[in-house]
Amino acid sequence: MRSTLLVAIHVFRDSVRDKVLYSIVAFAIILMASSFLMGQLTAGQDVKIIKDLGLAAMSLFGLFIAIFIGVGLVSREIERRSIYAVLAKPVLRHEFIVGKYLGLVGTLFVNLAVMAIAYYGVLEYMALTLPAGAFTGGPPATDPRLLLAVGLIGAELALVTAIALFWSSFSSSALLSAAFTAGLWVAGQFGADLRNFDQVVASPVAVWLARGLYYVLPNFAAFDIKAQVVHGATVSGDYMAATLAYAMAYIAMLIVAAVLVFSRRDFK
Amino acid sequence: MDAIRTEGLTKHYSVGFWRPRPYVALEGLDLEVAPGEIFGFLGPNGAGKTTTLKLLMQLIFPTSGRAEILGRPVGDVSVRRRIGYLPENPFFYDNLTAEELLAYFARLFGFHGQERATRVSRILDEVGLGAERRFQLRKYSKGMLQRVGLAQALLNDPEVVFLDEPMSGLDPLGRRDVRDLILRLRDRGTTVFFSSHILSDAETLCSRVAIVAHGKLVTAGSVAELVPFRVRGWDLIVSNLTIAQVHDVGGPDAVVREIADGRHHVILPEAASLDSALSRVTTHRGQLLSVNPVRDTLEDYFLARVRQAERREVG
Amino acid sequence: MLAGTVVWLQMYRERHFRAAEAAQQILYVQSPAVMKRLALSFDAVVADLYWIRTIQYYGGTRLSRDPDKHYDLLYPMLDLTTTLDPRFSIAYRFGAFFLSERAPGGAGRPDLAIALLKKAMATSPESWEYPYDIGFVYYRYAQYEQAADWFRRAAKVPGATNWLEPLAAVTLAAGGKLEASRVLWQNLLANGDQQWLRRTAEHRLQQLDAIDEIQRLQSLTAAYEARHGAPPPTWEHLIADGALRTVPRDPAGQPYVLNPWWGLVTVSQDSPLWPLPTERAP
Repeated sequence: MRSTLLVAIHVFRDSVRDKVLYSIVAFAIILMASSFLMGQLTAGQDVKIIKDLGLAAMSLFGLFIAIFIGVGLVSREIERRSIYAVLAKPVLRHEFIVGKYLGLVGTLFVNLAVMAIAYYGVLEYMALTLPAGAFTGGPPATDPRLLLAVGLIGAELALVTAIALFWSSFSSSALLSAAFTAGLWVAGQFGADLRNFDQVVASPVAVWLARGLYYVLPNFAAFDIKAQVVHGATVSGDYMAATLAYAMAYIAMLIVAAVLVFSRRDFK
Repeated sequence: MDAIRTEGLTKHYSVGFWRPRPYVALEGLDLEVAPGEIFGFLGPNGAGKTTTLKLLMQLIFPTSGRAEILGRPVGDVSVRRRIGYLPENPFFYDNLTAEELLAYFARLFGFHGQERATRVSRILDEVGLGAERRFQLRKYSKGMLQRVGLAQALLNDPEVVFLDEPMSGLDPLGRRDVRDLILRLRDRGTTVFFSSHILSDAETLCSRVAIVAHGKLVTAGSVAELVPFRVRGWDLIVSNLTIAQVHDVGGPDAVVREIADGRHHVILPEAASLDSALSRVTTHRGQLLSVNPVRDTLEDYFLARVRQAERREVG
Repeated sequence: MLAGTVVWLQMYRERHFRAAEAAQQILYVQSPAVMKRLALSFDAVVADLYWIRTIQYYGGTRLSRDPDKHYDLLYPMLDLTTTLDPRFSIAYRFGAFFLSERAPGGAGRPDLAIALLKKAMATSPESWEYPYDIGFVYYRYAQYEQAADWFRRAAKVPGATNWLEPLAAVTLAAGGKLEASRVLWQNLLANGDQQWLRRTAEHRLQQLDAIDEIQRLQSLTAAYEARHGAPPPTWEHLIADGALRTVPRDPAGQPYVLNPWWGLVTVSQDSPLWPLPTERAP
């Protein structure tokens, strides 16, 4: 157990300093700041587009980060054989992989937090410079409910990282792992379509397959409450709890699978 | 109790996706290494040296056979506290410094606080890393990385150390440092198991060696047993003589070669008398620059056995 | 020299092929359902982008001097925007307003406006604003019974503002009379959430006040005619007669114009209130 934490801290220290992550986060922040300009074009909807764009940027760039750290860092470690020295130490393979996951998720959350702070910075600036009498209907600029969306984005990305880690625990090709992970993310957006397949296709076999896929594939669309929080609609505590529990269960399943694969793997 | 012991250690791979063919990386290796020895594990590329080391470190799993380190089966985590491993061409975590990396490993071994700091500092001194220890590993040259690799292998004062090509990437100065280090380890009673193709080092360092080729053990034993000290001739370098005079010095069966600047290389056959050759040099008023015995080296022995193994394999 | 050629070609292309490109470019994707899927989880941002384009399209078309100008893409773009973000209330309301506005200021398609608002009602049944807006569309096209009907429906939505029932009643009873207009515009002046809406309401209310004023002034000129046998030729005559104290001015400050032949009063052509609306369309 202690070793797991040691691995996690070490992985965190190593990944957090990675220069690629700096670029991705910087890019996201620049995008958020420039959404300010876009806000001037929308006949009174300035705040909405800044909120939308900020959340979308966090979601998209966060996705890049998750795939990069989940696939890139693990494959790189195996490819460059940094892993040999570590596994020769008194550390069990499962401790290593769980620790690795925790360290990666820590890095992910730190990057997400940086983006969230920049996001609120832009919104706060907007709120302070809003001309009096302009359209202020709807939720406030620095609505704390936005954090709920950020929270679910975090959970979603933790799940993506787990998927990426799972793939790279047995695949040697970083590109393939990245492609599969991205593909699963896209597929997971279409949950509603899969569930309602019977409205589109007549064949009962296809419908049954689609339903099965709906339950098996990670349902990423459920983590998307961006539109709700921007419009100030309430998101129930139950919903948040259920979605987070789903994420944790799915992640646990993936990590167990990754541990099983990893424990038996030959490092050629 | 042996420090290291393998019985019938075998590793087969399946190569190819559509019609997998078996590839024999290692076949039936039986090995014993006594504690305190320096054991050289030698062989050409692809012979199975790295495979054996990885099997011992449980980076890969054997197809059949077993291995033990310090009397416990390989893979026993408690044993890993007492051993060290230097992988071939090590790479580490780019964004950390050498100090941070070693501190991490030290913590994994269970060293805390002041003891950890002392150990890390001491081992970095021992491998010759000074102020560089605070730079990130991405900035290190191959030689420096090799030193870091050695440092992490010796951090826990192991009883048994496994070194995969420890001299690779080092300049002659570095190689001498490593040789000295290995000798110091032996003085401390550490068992050293290393694989190499630099046979001259193996000859001077090792008490025992094993030679593998094509995944099989070709031979094993002490250097003295395998390569008895026997003079097979003499190697002279002379100068200030004309070519005719040189031929006279060497006699009818000698091999003569001209080196630059009026120097000549004379190789006397086994039967020739060294004394008469030397006196002939004096007679002709030549200069004797060097005299060396020609013996079988480990390299000769190694090449001979490997070629034999190859022929058996093919034929 | 090559750079010059490139620029010239671009200008040539701009001039000749512009019109055809514009339509495809604005929509990119024709089907809202497809666009929603393509947008993955970024539909709100894509909705925002479509909204920006919609405003640009509307503004550009409105300001254009092209005699053949049309607002054909307005509804498809609004449909796309609101499919991507079904809670985008301002897209529904703004969109419906200018879809129902008569040409050349708007598309002149009340049917599309109502369709858009019905879509809004389907996704946000808790909002009274959408049935209210539908009533307003009917009102603008002088279909008072349906207008009143929709105002009543809006009033039934829990949390609706409380002037909807009276509004429905006035609309039903008076049907096109000035009182109903005045109530509507007063409501918009008090509750309108956009500055341009409030300014328009103020303007219209001033016009209604002017109409009332004119009626009153015309009764004075009729009385004068009855007394003196002919309508007053100038305001001074009425002032001398004691009917007025000063030259009457309209709510925008311009003096009313007295037509001496018929005793009719109108607003001056210099007044910003000119021309006054007829009774039927506010």
